[in-house]
Amino acid sequence: MMMIGIVNGEESYKLLKLLKQDHRPLLDLTSEFTSTFSPSLHFPLCTSLYLILEDKLMLTAPERLVAFTVLHQTYASPSSSMNPFIRFIAACNDGAENFERAFILQLLRSSDSSSSKEFLKQSAADYIKGFDPSAQTFPQIDQLQQQYCKNAHPEPYNCLFKDMPVKNVVSDPDVPSSCNISSPEFDLQPGVQPKIGSGDKDETVAGLLSNLTLEGIGPQWIRPRPPRLPIQDGELVWLVPGNNHELLWDSGMCADTSRGAAIRDLIAKATKSPLVPAQQEKVVMELANDPKLVYHCGVTPSRLPELVENNPLIAVEVLTRLINSPEITEYFTVLVTMEMSLHSMEVVNRLTQAVKLPSDFLRLYISNCITSCESIKDKYMQNRLVRLVCVFLQSLIRNNHIDVKEILIEVQAFCINFSRIREAAGLFRLLKTMEG
Amino acid sequence: MDSRDSSATSNSVVNPSADGEGAPFSAVAKEAALLFQSRKYTECLELLHQLAQKKEHDPKVLHNIAITEFFWDGCSNPRRLIEVLSDVKRKSEVLARTSLEQVEATSNAGSRGTLGSKGNASAPEHQISVANNTSIFYVDEFDHSVAILNIAVIWFHLSEYSKALSILEPLYNKIQPIDETIALHICLLLLDVALACHDIAKSADVLNYLEKPLDNGTAIQQQSANLVVKSSSVPSNSAVADNSDLGTSAGLNTSDKSLARTLSDETLDYESMMSALDIGGHNLGSSQALSSSNNFSRSVFDKSLPSVDLKLKLQLYKVRFLLLSGNLKAAKREVKGAMNARGDSSIAILLKSQLEYARGNYRKAIKLLMALENRTEGAIGSMFFNNLGCIYHELAKFHTASIFFTKALTSSSSLRKEKPLRLSTLSQDKSLFISYNCGVQNLASGKPVLAARCLLKAQTAFYNKPLFWFRLAECCLMASEMGLLKNGGVSLESSELKLYVIGKGKWRRLAIKDESSRNGLSHSAEKTDWSISSNDGQPKLSLSLARLCLYNALHILSSCESGLHSSSSSPLDSSEVNDSSETRNVNHKILQGVEAKLSAMNLGLSQVTSNGDTKEQKAVVSQELISSSLSIYEETSRRKNKIVKEAVTANQAFVELELENPIGALSCARSLLQIPDCSRVYAFLGHMYAAEALCLLNRPSEASEHLSVYLAEGKNMRLPFTEEDFEQWRVVKNSECEETNNGGGPVSSIISRSEEPQILTFLKPEEARAALYVNLAAKSAMDGELQKALELVNQALVMSANSREALLTSVYIHLALGNSREALSKLKQLSRVRFLPFPVSSESS
Repeated sequence: MMMIGIVNGEESYKLLKLLKQDHRPLLDLTSEFTSTFSPSLHFPLCTSLYLILEDKLMLTAPERLVAFTVLHQTYASPSSSMNPFIRFIAACNDGAENFERAFILQLLRSSDSSSSKEFLKQSAADYIKGFDPSAQTFPQIDQLQQQYCKNAHPEPYNCLFKDMPVKNVVSDPDVPSSCNISSPEFDLQPGVQPKIGSGDKDETVAGLLSNLTLEGIGPQWIRPRPPRLPIQDGELVWLVPGNNHELLWDSGMCADTSRGAAIRDLIAKATKSPLVPAQQEKVVMELANDPKLVYHCGVTPSRLPELVENNPLIAVEVLTRLINSPEITEYFTVLVTMEMSLHSMEVVNRLTQAVKLPSDFLRLYISNCITSCESIKDKYMQNRLVRLVCVFLQSLIRNNHIDVKEILIEVQAFCINFSRIREAAGLFRLLKTMEG
Repeated sequence: MDSRDSSATSNSVVNPSADGEGAPFSAVAKEAALLFQSRKYTECLELLHQLAQKKEHDPKVLHNIAITEFFWDGCSNPRRLIEVLSDVKRKSEVLARTSLEQVEATSNAGSRGTLGSKGNASAPEHQISVANNTSIFYVDEFDHSVAILNIAVIWFHLSEYSKALSILEPLYNKIQPIDETIALHICLLLLDVALACHDIAKSADVLNYLEKPLDNGTAIQQQSANLVVKSSSVPSNSAVADNSDLGTSAGLNTSDKSLARTLSDETLDYESMMSALDIGGHNLGSSQALSSSNNFSRSVFDKSLPSVDLKLKLQLYKVRFLLLSGNLKAAKREVKGAMNARGDSSIAILLKSQLEYARGNYRKAIKLLMALENRTEGAIGSMFFNNLGCIYHELAKFHTASIFFTKALTSSSSLRKEKPLRLSTLSQDKSLFISYNCGVQNLASGKPVLAARCLLKAQTAFYNKPLFWFRLAECCLMASEMGLLKNGGVSLESSELKLYVIGKGKWRRLAIKDESSRNGLSHSAEKTDWSISSNDGQPKLSLSLARLCLYNALHILSSCESGLHSSSSSPLDSSEVNDSSETRNVNHKILQGVEAKLSAMNLGLSQVTSNGDTKEQKAVVSQELISSSLSIYEETSRRKNKIVKEAVTANQAFVELELENPIGALSCARSLLQIPDCSRVYAFLGHMYAAEALCLLNRPSEASEHLSVYLAEGKNMRLPFTEEDFEQWRVVKNSECEETNNGGGPVSSIISRSEEPQILTFLKPEEARAALYVNLAAKSAMDGELQKALELVNQALVMSANSREALLTSVYIHLALGNSREALSKLKQLSRVRFLPFPVSSESS
């Protein structure tokens, strides 16, 4: 995008000089305009022309014709509907002198066909001289707008701030309002000593050309800048020497892993069948020697049931060593949900002695035991299992591994259900004494 | 997935013991390790390359080669080492996976052999279960935790703490299986990194984890082991019975098959179980002895470091943690202990000084810094100067502060020139942090371009801090305020009003040229340029950059806000915070259905063992301390975040207005006003910005609603905020200060902020009220209610007679009313106004 320049005093005098050449062909003047001023100045100059044209007193009739021509011709290509001033030009047709209206009409029509540019070959003065008022009819302004502005840019978006500016130029309030500005009384006369209060119009026009602004002045709005946020607590970095962290040598390189491998083999065997005592001892010893070995020995939650069934004591050993591992809950979950068996009970029992098991886990396990007792079909088996569960429960209760209140209702129901069995009755009595 | 193939390859590559050459290899490896320890890197590399020839794909050999070459090369290219180590890590993972498949495959083959009847159907099943659990049991050979740790170590030394944190966290979450020495290194590094990242929760977690082992002996563990060995004679009987039993249970239904099996004929087993249960019932002694065995895995920490040394180290970590969390009282206690233990250590002195600094006892802080030995040399020197800079900044002696920061920078950058280069020198170079301090310092003294340059240098360490982006945005805004931006923006100098007297006599006109007017849409269309700095390293400050920075700040803020919420949603009771496994388990896949029960179980686990001896209690006390510090930190950081969020949003609204985006400005202003309990200063700004945006959007009635918020019934305007609001929001500290009666006095409270440049001053409350009147007047004038506007603007002029905007609006109204004489007299009242003659051209006269 082109930068928009600022009109300085010198340029506005140049423009004024251009306007005053009413004897030169208008086309010459427009081409001189485009060649004299850099493109970045075209818009501000035209804006100034537009603003000064609005004030009908400032320019003479031929000057106005030149100004209109410049406004129109500067933006004539590619299409005059792209002309930012087209609305204004069309609107000026209203209420102006007849020759000016006719001139503007011709200007507007000139963009329709190139042939009608002929009239621009005469000078402004010649045009006014040769103007024949009887030969003209003037269309309505609406019609003109319709004809020449329908393709123009829509009215630019205007917010309230823009809606009602006043001109940024004020007449001298000291000039009495009775003074008729258009009378030549106080105009400068060449060769005559100026009177007090007289002034040169050209000087004012030039000044206006460089100082009128499109924005004018409007009401002011205060937009306070946000305050700078004060330094926050602890925002400045206080420096303290850090600890030194050196790169570590990996001492696991080519280390003798045969022992670990041996244990993994033994554990793998242990999930298939019971180990002989010597093997068991070896596993337990190795696990004790290297506290990390338990994590590498190949026991996973999914393999735990096999290990429990075949080598409950090794399972206990592994689980007690895994108690701090984040995976321990997974192991417990497997233990609780695996099929009830003598060995799983043994594992749980030993675990309660080694560590404090979470009471939720124990409750869940007890429920499982009770359900198993109830669902078993074989009477002989059932008796045996009930006896075992009862002894297990008594052991838990006596050692305070479980809070009786938590399981009271369920276990009482269980005891009543199997009251024919001696151990169940014993457990029931134990519960009664605990209650009291 | 051909199991035999994979087993064949991995056997030859990985398993040295298999081909009987394990022993000579390990001897060479040991020798190499010794050479490495005694820094004979050339010889060490020779040995390592020998090893590599025989075991060319062993990741551990590759790892040690990389490390040794790095040292041999003088630590010149740490980033390259990271690449190499990441490669080693990846190789190691691949090997571990194939080896697991191999293990599973062989075990399947084994079971197939014994059972015979089972088909191949079980194989895929097994492999799936293995895949789920891969993380659990990497075998030793493929343990690559050292490689990961080393990568993190390098990131740490490069001051890329968040990268180090992200790589260490997963390692820490699986710390149990890791060798103690390595585990301890992991914990200490993680602690440093978490503290550097201000990740207070993580540091609390690690501190808790590290504190536990120090109080446990190893004796119990031995006992427990023996006990199980002794009792192992029991199942040996059952082994025989079990074997003989395989076929008999066929008749029973499947659900209780195994149960029935164990119950039916195994009398021996059954009876022994019964008796074991009975004995267990009375065997209280044994259960007690066993009860502490759960701690055995930790006690080994004592081996790797002298316990006293570790204890001191932890104490200093704890001080840093407490300082970071803002628990200054506890920090004071803890630092006292540390000073008693080794009062002369520079780190203890620096921490104590930091404590006094945080409490606002600046004199004491300086005194402590002066007590440092070698305080102007080397790494300590740059810290010494930097910290002095912090203190002097706090004392509002900005010039002195900036001298100290500059000194700190020079002494820090000179560290890099030291030869030979060591890894630790990288991390001792704290220029990133000093640069940030410099930047903030320059900003405070009104040098936005310099400030931005410093801040950008610190970018790598601060890019995830909302304040960093906010300060950068402030640099842009200040530069625009000072007219330093190339396009757009208005310089202060040109803000004076120029009145051109044009022509003479009856043609005389007065042209008012207000170059600072920025009402509505001006022509300052700014080119959008996303790069922060140009080729010559000069920051390209612009309002679009400010917008971008503010977006960043807000984004980071809202993400850490959601983080805070999630952690605060769980009540901070001590058991939950303290138990490290609890928090870690959250991410774990837990079997469905029992999930709820298991989480409760977990809680139980944290309370394992309750022998109630004094050591245990001490640990509990310190855990409570840590958790209370956590909540202090959460509270303060929530408050701080709120302040920053308000500031960011207010600045955003302002920038959007400056960039002529009223819709964006409106939404920012609204979200500012929606911040619960928004401070009154920012609420005022929110209303002002919203009103302007609404005017720009031609919605004047909504705009006046925002402006009339402060209208008390009738016409009187309340002050939108008071001087106290401002002070409160400025000084948030000093609550801990206790020097008041010593005559020294909390220095900060006596200091006048006179050194602060004028440009930074904000509207006084009365000016803010006048501004409300001015804007209401402007709004009325735009609505065409000129008389009302005149009244309002006159009220504004009563409050602030020199207000430029009030006078200009008044000029406008008078002109619009056709009263040019009055307008002219108002124009003459403007303080910054110049009457200029319009140049008369030589040609025309």
